[in-house]
Amino acid sequence: MDSVVTSVRQAHGRAGIGARLAAIAGICLMLAGCGINNIPTYEEQARAAWSQVLNQYQRRADLIPNLVETVEGFAAQEKDVLTSVVEARSRATATQLPADVLTNPDAFKAFQDNQAALSGALSRLLVVVERYPELKSSQNFLALQSQLEGTENRIAVARRDYIEAVRLYNTELRTIPGRWWRSLLYADTEPMQNFSVEAETIETPKVEFNRSGG
Amino acid sequence: MARRGVSKQALEVRRARRMFGWAVALFAVMGAAILFLNGTIGTSPDAGTAPQAAAQTGLPTLSGRVVDEADLIDAATEQAIVDKLAAFEARSSDQVVVATIVSLGGEPLEDYANRLFRHWGLGQAGENNGVLLLVARDDRKVRIEVGYGLEGTLTDALAKLIIEETLVPAFRAGEFARGIAEGTDQIIAVLSGDTAELEARARRNATGGQSWPVIIFVALWFGIVFTGIAFAILAPIFGRKTGKGRYEWLGIEMTTTGSSSASSSSGGFSGGGGSSGGGGASGSW
Repeated sequence: MDSVVTSVRQAHGRAGIGARLAAIAGICLMLAGCGINNIPTYEEQARAAWSQVLNQYQRRADLIPNLVETVEGFAAQEKDVLTSVVEARSRATATQLPADVLTNPDAFKAFQDNQAALSGALSRLLVVVERYPELKSSQNFLALQSQLEGTENRIAVARRDYIEAVRLYNTELRTIPGRWWRSLLYADTEPMQNFSVEAETIETPKVEFNRSGG
Repeated sequence: MARRGVSKQALEVRRARRMFGWAVALFAVMGAAILFLNGTIGTSPDAGTAPQAAAQTGLPTLSGRVVDEADLIDAATEQAIVDKLAAFEARSSDQVVVATIVSLGGEPLEDYANRLFRHWGLGQAGENNGVLLLVARDDRKVRIEVGYGLEGTLTDALAKLIIEETLVPAFRAGEFARGIAEGTDQIIAVLSGDTAELEARARRNATGGQSWPVIIFVALWFGIVFTGIAFAILAPIFGRKTGKGRYEWLGIEMTTTGSSSASSSSGGFSGGGGSSGGGGASGSW
């Protein structure tokens, strides 16, 4: 009789602890439902999108030495255009990106300007190439050109994804549940920088066409 | 609640059982919450952009492997292409889709192609092995958009080659059906080029890639349903009104999860949830 009572008490105690643990776990999940994890989730998504942007810019930078070499073989006299491409490339790749590039407006702008300068130099080079029919029809150049086009398009897609990811993240930081969580738990998070429209208009090849034509 | 004459011991047992019922209920709620959260947070970036994109300019619906909006392909050729593409997907799990549209409506070809590719989710989800051949009739432009997973096989240069050597000459001659048929043949040929990689991809998506998430999902879902049923039976026995309310809440949770994940599997042909990062090449005729 006594042993039955103790075993029942033990069972009761176990169930109590289990229920308490379950309650704690349940509360954690309910908090998750209120968006406690949204800020880190969106932050990681934005950082991943940024890595993709860097990745594609790097891919473009890697293509350039080959491209310059190929163009030199046919159009060595276009020295200044080629030099400007090489210089813009080294500026864009040599700059060590600071760790806080995403939240530091100056660093972000410097990065953006360097890449825009490289885009401009590249499109000037492609305009110059139009004057050299043998170069334009060389297999090597055609392959490089298609890769460069593909890379530029990938850059555009990566930038678009980044813009969207940052929009989500920044919105989460500013709107209500996220705003509370930020002040409560994620006080060190900062809104991220996004690509600005001005830089994109600078990058459009049309401007460069006019400049080289005139 | 406790009837007179019931021994203290029986009361203890009843309390223990009630606590146990609570624990079961909480675990059921947790399980439902996990599924619910996976459904919302896990897919939120796609879920957020896809309907938005569809609303923007009314992208065509993925009615089959050949979506001939501009009416450039005759029925016999279209059927032949569809059969070839279906056979190729069965062999490799790669999804190749042909789309012709009347006009881009002023949007850049590359943007439109990428948007359409992602909207349709071509290729298997983890593999991103889709290819979209997009022809814009009135803009006289054509693009081969390649998913992330196939960028290494169908490179930009090869895509450009297919466009310049096959599609553009045929399109200039006005033979759209022939050009598209030959173009898809060449895309398949390029994708089949690396046989070992192709077979590995097909295997991955036949066993590991696709069925495991489905099995886990079904198991979890059944688990939740049965925990819910068990709770529904337990709740009246242990007699707690809050318990019943909770169950109803749980029921709502389960229905929302069910509807959000069921949307991915519709009848006929559908994209596997792949994505593209803008690989491929464009041309015009």
